Formats: sequence, C-alpha cells, structure tokens
Amino acid sequence: MIPLLRRSIAQGRYVLLGVLLLLFAFQLIIIAQAAEVERSNAFASVANLMPGFMQRGLGSRAMLLATFRGTVTFGYFHPVVCILVAVLAMYFATEPAHEVEAGLVDLELARAIPRHRLVTRSLLAAIAALAGATIMMALGTSAGARIFDTTGMAMPTLELRSLLLANLFAVGACLTGFALMMATFARRWSTSFTTVGLAAVIAYMVDFIAIGWRPMRTIAWLSPFHYYPALSVVAGDAPTARNISVLLAAGAAFVMTAYWQFQRRDV
Amino acid sequence: MSDRTDAAIQAAGLTKYFGPVVGIEELSFEVGRGEIYGFLGANGAGKTTTIRLLLDLLRPSRGSASVLGRDCHRDSLASRRQIGYLPGDLPIYPDLGARDYLAYLSSLDGRPVDPAYLRHLLARFDVSDIDQRRRLREQSHGMKQKIGIIQALMAKPPVVILDEPTAGLDPLMVQAFRETLADLKKEGNTTIFLSSHVLTEVESTCDRIGLVRGGRMVATSTIDEIRRNARRRVTVTFGDGPPEVVDVTGPLGPLLASFNGRTVHDIAVEPFRLEDYIAQFYTGSAR
Repeated sequence: MIPLLRRSIAQGRYVLLGVLLLLFAFQLIIIAQAAEVERSNAFASVANLMPGFMQRGLGSRAMLLATFRGTVTFGYFHPVVCILVAVLAMYFATEPAHEVEAGLVDLELARAIPRHRLVTRSLLAAIAALAGATIMMALGTSAGARIFDTTGMAMPTLELRSLLLANLFAVGACLTGFALMMATFARRWSTSFTTVGLAAVIAYMVDFIAIGWRPMRTIAWLSPFHYYPALSVVAGDAPTARNISVLLAAGAAFVMTAYWQFQRRDV
Repeated sequence: MSDRTDAAIQAAGLTKYFGPVVGIEELSFEVGRGEIYGFLGANGAGKTTTIRLLLDLLRPSRGSASVLGRDCHRDSLASRRQIGYLPGDLPIYPDLGARDYLAYLSSLDGRPVDPAYLRHLLARFDVSDIDQRRRLREQSHGMKQKIGIIQALMAKPPVVILDEPTAGLDPLMVQAFRETLADLKKEGNTTIFLSSHVLTEVESTCDRIGLVRGGRMVATSTIDEIRRNARRRVTVTFGDGPPEVVDVTGPLGPLLASFNGRTVHDIAVEPFRLEDYIAQFYTGSAR
C-alpha cells in the first residue's frame, strides 16, 4: 500500500502543492481585506451592498457576512475555496480511471496486488489531500491574524473554525466518494473528472439558488453543499454533527459502490 | 478443468464477449512447464484478450484458465504472483527514471529481485547508469521496451507473458532478447508465453505455437512438426534440361530416390518459412 500511496502523492504533488498554497494564500487575502474594512469601520456599507435575494434567503444570518468575524469565516466557504477543495478531492479520487486509461493498471494488477488496494490507495490519497487542505486553511488564518495585526478584532473562535473546517472536510469526503465511484465506472480519466466536476458545480449552484428561490429547495437536499450551511454554523444554530454524518454516510455509500464496481469490472 | 501438473498455463473453453463483439470463444490450450509458446494471430484475433484474461484484468464470460494450477480468476492473487508480464504498449510513469520505475514495480508485491540478476539484465540490454537515471518520458521507444522486458523478468517469475516483446528493438537488442530466452530455456524453470507478429523471432525461439483467428484457436503445433510437414518448393536441374519444380511435403528422401540415377546438375530447396504455414489459415487453404 505504501509504495502505491507514495506514487499517487508524488504524481499529484504539483496539483496538491498548488491548491494548498492557494488555499493558504486565500485565507491571508481575506483576512487582509477584512482587517482593512474593520479598520476603516466600513462593514456597515458592506451590509448595504448585499444582494436582496441573499438578505431575504439568509435572513438575519446574512448580516454575519458584514462583520469582521463573518468575513474571516467566509474564507472557509467561499465558492473559490469550495471549488479548490472539490478539485483536490476529485483529482486524487479519479486516479483509478487514469490508471485504466493509461494502462498502468496492467502493470500494477499483473502483480499480486488485490484490486481493492487501488481503490483504497486513491481514497487515502484524497483524504490525506483534504486533510492537508484544511490544515493549510487553518494555518493561513493563524498566519493572517498575525501578519495583518488583528489585535482587538473579533476573530472567529478556534471551535467555530474547527467546526467549519470539519464540515468542509466532510463535503470533500462526500465528493471524494462520488469521484471514486465514477472513476471505477469510467475508462477515461477526463470522463470521470468532467462528470464529477460538472456534478459538483451543479450541486453548488442548486444549493446557492435555493437560498433565494424556494422551488429549488425541493432538490437542494441532494447537494452535498446543502449539508454545509456555513452561516448557520457561524450563527451557532446548525446541526453540524448531523450534517457531517449525512455527508460521511453518503461518501461511504459511494465508496462501497466503488469497491464493488472495481472488483467486478474489466480493466 | 484437469489440473495436469506438467502444464504451466491451461485454458479450457475460455470465452470473452465484449457486448455483441466476440473477443475469444471456446479457446483451449496448454503450455507445458519450461516451454516457450508462441501465441500468434492477426490484429484483433484475440491474443491480447487472452493474455488479459490470464492476468485477470478481464473477467471471462465462460470457461477458465489457470497458471501453475492456480485459477486465474478465483485464485487470482496466487496466479499473478507467478507471472512476469510485458504489456504490448508499455505504460510508463513519465516522471520516473528507469531505476525508480523498476524499484517501484518491484516494491508493489514484494517479490524479491536478485540485484545481481537485475544488473545482468541491465547490462545485457545495454541500459547504462545514465539511461537508468533519465526520465522515461525522455527515453526512446526502444529503451522503454528494454525496461519493459527487464521489469517482466527481474523477479525471475516461473511464468513470463510477453506481448510483442521485440517491437521497437534494434537487431542487437533482438539478439540480446533471444539470448535471454535461450538462457531461461536452458535453466528450465521458466515458461514463456510469447505473443508476436515477428515470425522469424517465433520460429527461432519458440518450441510450439498456437494460432488464433477470430477468437478461436485454429492450429497448435510444435515448430519441428511444422517444419517437418511443411510443403517446400524444390527446383531440380537435370543435365542441360530446364529446371523442374516439385512441391514436397515431408522428407526429401522419396524425391531424391525418384531421380533414379539421373545426373542432378543443381538442386535448390526453398527454405522453410513460418509465414507460409500461417498464411494457409488466412487464405482459405487451411487444413
């Protein structure tokens, strides 16, 4: 397992490093901006800039975004962050499809390696990458708070940041399971990656549109992002444990399907 | 399936359909231990499909196969533990050098590689230290093929499956490959299943061949048998007369006896060519 895992991480090292650095930098940038707005007492004006549909959809929680604390936490659920985390999960989880397409699976499975080991390897690589992403985000926030001198500003507590990161990690884990499952059905990496990427974007859009458009809420429960109600987490009224459980259970179901499919398919 | 102890590879009624397309159908054959078996056929005949079934990369629609008595599907791990495999299109990790590539592959299932034997193979296939360090994406096709052959042989597996092993090799390396097979043959511990389009290579290295066409085995025979029974064209010139052309199957003795004391000025026997034998099965004159 270790050589497989090491090879997987080595192959994806540039993507991994790039995404981790972007996530780290993103936290720095968002703290720099939040600190600047806070210093110029301009958060009241930010509140006025919030689109009406969001104010209606999110209610009083929308105003959390117009605070220093809310803006800093925004770095944990900003669309760019969600996309980067999804890309990272998808990149590592779709490796079985790449191996089938490139014929690498012939070399690996011509040796005495059980098939399930390739699925487990990709799962572990994706989970490790997600863990790396959340750690880098946490480090980025801590570094940003020091670099941009947020003394006296209401930084989100460590507990709140941990909850948000755990919830984001669970979204990533759910997408990992989905990507892994799609990869075990596909013969081409581009097919699995594009399919999962489009599905993730659509899921994000569905959840976002559901904020302001009630009919969309009937299907929003299908989106993994529905179980990451970040503003509710910030407000302290989200069933985070339940949400994380739903995401992990869905991810586990996808992973089980991936094991089953990879075991039975022709590679 | 019978489990003959002298068979290294056995296939019994092996069948694989890809939807409506027949990959192979009712393929049965045996390869003896220590034998070099040439598996021949045109493109799309089912050679690679058969190999991938032996490696459990494809799952059979019907029938079964075994390697050294281990079922290729039900006891897949034990079966694959005994195989060294060179794919027809060698996949590479472009960021790895040959040395790391070989080290990675040998680390996958923990089969021990004798460093002395690996050095011997690297030397025989003329893979220098510099070649071993260079990334595979920068290597020529021939060099990658040599690395492919080495990775298949380095653990000294009892069964080696080679798909088009000499594709892209220069004549010197083809010779090195033949010498390697000859050494393995001499040691007698290795069974080689070789799929190739290069019939001269098959003729010079294989003990026996199996010919597959349209997914079915249409002929299987030893090279000696084929050579003995091959129809050869003999051109005989008597005295000053015009040359006479005779097609002979089997030994030349009866023909020579039929000369009946006539003075033979010249006699030319067309050498045996495996492709003539193979061609019969593709031109409608199959026996």
